[in-house]
Amino acid sequence: MDKITIKNIIALAEELRWKIGDDFHDNLAEGIYADAAEIVEDAIISKSNKTARLDNKIDRIVTSRVWGFPIMFFILGIVLWLTIQGANYPSAMLSDFLLGDIRPVLKSLASGVGMPWWLSGFLINGVYLAVAWVIAVMLPPMAIFFPLFTLLEDFGYLPRVAFNLDYLFKKSGAHGKQALTMSMGFGCNAAGVVATRIIDSPRERLIAIITNNFSLCNGRWPTQILLATIFIGAVVPASMSGMVSLAAVFGIAVLGIFFMFFVSWALSKTLLKGEVSTFNLELPPYRPPNFWQTIYTSIIDRTLIVLWRAIVFAAPAGAAIWLISNLNIGDQSIAAWIIQYLDGFGFIIGLNGVILLAYIVAIPANEIVIPTILMLTVLVTGMQAGEGAGVMFELDSVNDTAAILKAGGWTVLTAINVMLFSLLHNPCSTTIYTIYKETKSKKWTLIATILPIIMGLVVTFVVAQIWRIIAN
Amino acid sequence: MDVLPHSNCENCDQFNTDGLKKLGIDIDDFDFVVALAGNPNTGKSTVFNALTGLRQHTGNWPGKTVTRAEGAFQYNDKKYKLVDLPGTYSLLSTSEDEEIARNFILFGKPNVTVIVVDANRLERNLNLVLQILEITNKAVLCLNLMDEAKRNKIDINVRSLARDLGIPVVPTSARYKEGIPELIQTINDLADGKIICKPHKIKNIPKDIEEAVELLSVRVKKEFPNIPNSRWIAFRLLEGDAQIIEALESGVFL
Amino acid sequence: MLIFVVIVIDYLLFMMMYSYNPVYSLLIFIVSSMIIYLFFRPNKGLTWLLLNSYKVDEKIVIEDILKQLYHNSNNNITTNFLVNALGYKDAVIISGIDKMIDSDLVYFDNDFFKLTEEGFDYAVKIVRVHRLWERYLAEKTGFDKAEWHGIAERKEHETNEDEAMELATQLGNPIFDPHGDPIPTSTGKIAEIDSIPLSGLAIGEVGKIINIDDNPEIIYKQILAENIHIGSQIKILENNSTRVTFYSEGEEFRLAPIVAGNIKVFILKNQEEIQDKSIVRLTALNPGETAIVEGISKESRGDSRRRLLDLGFVRGAKVSIDLVNPFGEPTGYYIKGTTIALRDDQALKILIKKD
Ligand SMILES: Nc1nc2c(ncn2[C@@H]2O[C@H](COP(=O)(O)OP(=O)(O)O)[C@@H](O)[C@H]2O)c(=O)[nH]1
Ligand SMILES: [Mg+2]
Repeated sequence: MDKITIKNIIALAEELRWKIGDDFHDNLAEGIYADAAEIVEDAIISKSNKTARLDNKIDRIVTSRVWGFPIMFFILGIVLWLTIQGANYPSAMLSDFLLGDIRPVLKSLASGVGMPWWLSGFLINGVYLAVAWVIAVMLPPMAIFFPLFTLLEDFGYLPRVAFNLDYLFKKSGAHGKQALTMSMGFGCNAAGVVATRIIDSPRERLIAIITNNFSLCNGRWPTQILLATIFIGAVVPASMSGMVSLAAVFGIAVLGIFFMFFVSWALSKTLLKGEVSTFNLELPPYRPPNFWQTIYTSIIDRTLIVLWRAIVFAAPAGAAIWLISNLNIGDQSIAAWIIQYLDGFGFIIGLNGVILLAYIVAIPANEIVIPTILMLTVLVTGMQAGEGAGVMFELDSVNDTAAILKAGGWTVLTAINVMLFSLLHNPCSTTIYTIYKETKSKKWTLIATILPIIMGLVVTFVVAQIWRIIAN
Repeated sequence: MDVLPHSNCENCDQFNTDGLKKLGIDIDDFDFVVALAGNPNTGKSTVFNALTGLRQHTGNWPGKTVTRAEGAFQYNDKKYKLVDLPGTYSLLSTSEDEEIARNFILFGKPNVTVIVVDANRLERNLNLVLQILEITNKAVLCLNLMDEAKRNKIDINVRSLARDLGIPVVPTSARYKEGIPELIQTINDLADGKIICKPHKIKNIPKDIEEAVELLSVRVKKEFPNIPNSRWIAFRLLEGDAQIIEALESGVFL
Repeated sequence: MLIFVVIVIDYLLFMMMYSYNPVYSLLIFIVSSMIIYLFFRPNKGLTWLLLNSYKVDEKIVIEDILKQLYHNSNNNITTNFLVNALGYKDAVIISGIDKMIDSDLVYFDNDFFKLTEEGFDYAVKIVRVHRLWERYLAEKTGFDKAEWHGIAERKEHETNEDEAMELATQLGNPIFDPHGDPIPTSTGKIAEIDSIPLSGLAIGEVGKIINIDDNPEIIYKQILAENIHIGSQIKILENNSTRVTFYSEGEEFRLAPIVAGNIKVFILKNQEEIQDKSIVRLTALNPGETAIVEGISKESRGDSRRRLLDLGFVRGAKVSIDLVNPFGEPTGYYIKGTTIALRDDQALKILIKKD
């Protein structure tokens, strides 16, 4: 086929287009639907629409002015509560098993084959520990959260949530379905980012991806709860401490939602204003969920994939944590040098070098931030706790944990700023990687990574200054 | 052309779970390639799972399958590769999902295209069906969610539908595996050439456009005698679809 | 510039660390954020202004002058006129004109500038590129209507002929830009339209809006705020020196004559073409009512328009309200067997006829 004839065909097409005018697409779309209507007329014998409208009856309730929001908050609240509470027991069991039972076996095996201390330390106290930790802390909540959420999805309730909340999201330039990707983010940001596929408008999808990190994920809830209990619950009378610390954690989550709206709005007005934006929201019929199939696929598709990615990133992080704590330059470990270097800057933003270093090395998973902080604090203060340099640990007793943190120089300000920084810092590496896979763009991945850190630094800085001004 | 009676499938082969194979559009190992297309939320992934024994994520929520999922099944010594395309409302627009679906049907040249539709929303679904029928002439309509249609007291004359569309129509309830053997048999017959389709072509177009399409498609047909879908190419050229122009120039259609 | 800022920030950090005082650090922070904002504010930042004031590109000046001459071919154009219209300094305009006379783009005719044939062709090319860009921005990007003109104004000078060709192909060689102005073809062919300003219609006359001028911007923004759409039929109810009132799509609009003058309409004489008065926008539908879709306004473009068509909002489709939102928006419409939620700005662009 020579180029000339093709050129001629294209030229002919252009000429014809000029003749039939700009309405071609509309006419074609209308024509197709007209054909469809004729065929359906022929094929559908009887059509009584009564039962089909049962959906509508349910909809009138779940989207009503009175019941819409209570039902929504109730259901999402139950899911979150079941996740956080329900995960405690299996997490403890897994951790007992992986850390309490398996690790000693591995250790004795290592010494059995005559492995030098540095190699077994690197492998068992570094790599294995980090991986085991991530599995123990991450698996149970995800294995609870995802199936529950998927069941709601299968039932058909989630699009109604998007419908109810769309107005709020529209105000900030986003799509109502972002309510769901955001809720998914409360389980896991990486999964939340994947879930943005339901948003088929490019601009709103990018907004949802970049702001997902403002949903406080599973990995961060325990940090929040622990710090709120130790530092914030302690400043009020014991009878109220439970309530107050709960309120503090809740406040942080709400603050995250506020930032999500704010950043969505700002992005849609600046960086993303040129991206194509469309809106449509189909409300599918309600269907009884396919229970076992749903459980199975949500575990395979969501939980295990995310867990696997986290493990892949956690292993090298464990190695790094062990190495910086055990390799010395001059008279102290690399970790100690870095901490010393970061302390000044950390102080200005109301944190300290240990916390900053912990956030740097624990980028694979928020779950290992607190164990890393504890280990590093013990390392630099020379306290007698934990299991030695580079071995992350957590303590069963809240009081003992508090003692270590206070010995590390923590105050209420430190705790508040760590809570804020835990909300506002870069996404974990699993999420960053997922963002890259979903957007296929280095630019958006970079923005999604940097933006929350900048916000975190600014917020902690301002809080620290104001706190100190008032406290003096 | 007719709906095959149940008895045809008494000696169906067992489904062969081949695991998920990511082979791209490379079809060397397979006898036939089958594409699964349809609107979002009509049960494509459920049909896919029923055919392959895989467990692709399904969900009551338009727009979950975004990437292509592939699997395989075997029937009467023939191996079929099955591709679960993202659900789309149409092939005329430019969203990413639509491009994936459209390019696969157009350039991936599947041997059979299974169009999964929701029997409760036939008219809406036919919009896509009619577009697909402009592209390919080896297709079967999988009239899914028949159980819901029955509950909603929607009675569909399958025979007349098959006649109007010019392709076989198989009623199914994929979630309960009803109608799947018949679907497999029909896919098999289409792939073997035992069933020849005469797909419906879009009629209700204003006269000036019809004339333009005719003029253009005759020209396309003359230059590319092997393309089955010169009319669709003409539609796209009139819309100024840069991708199709590029495809013509690069000779994909030769 | 950037390095300078980084150094300053570094220095400030250093100061904060070694002579720490929360009040000072907060002050330093506030001041430095203000400086950064001043420098890097998009489009208005100092950096941007500095960069732009230095280079008055001669090509841009010439092309801007060409466009002025093209659009005001009936007026008598002088240097003063150009200075006023374009906002360049006298010297810049004069040197531009000199260049243009040298290269045979313009000539003098009784002290007024006129385009030569060559100049005219060049001007048509610029207009083509401008309108193609506007069309591109309308169809393929999410930029707001109010921004199209400004962006196209910049892009038209940066696009060479090949790129313009590619742009046209990508858009399917469109005939009109989103404001309703014809886009010249690569050979300079321009579709003919005969239209008169809305303010020139008599009471009772019916017309169809075919063009909304995006210049001057203040008036354009007023028109946008009214939700007046290209392609809508209008009927004049009142037309005097203080205001023009007209009916369109179930609503009444009231404009100052100067604003109405920027809307161009095509007068409909043929009785068959005149729409029924019962055609209104989808937003006017109330719960419990049913209606038939008449079509989608030309104001809905690109992917949004195609998506609406795909979802079944085509002529003849039956539509009713299925779900009302607690916030009042979006609304769930029942159409072709499915509930589809649309926001008000979409529903405004769908025309229906109530049963
Ligand atoms: N009742 C019923 N539900 C079905 C049937 N087929 C699919 N579904 C359900 O319809 C929903 C959408 O199915 P899915 O396969 O994910 O659709 P896809 O988006 O086209 O891939 C799921 O909740 C399925 O369980 C069927 O034949 N009957
Ligand atoms: Mg699917």
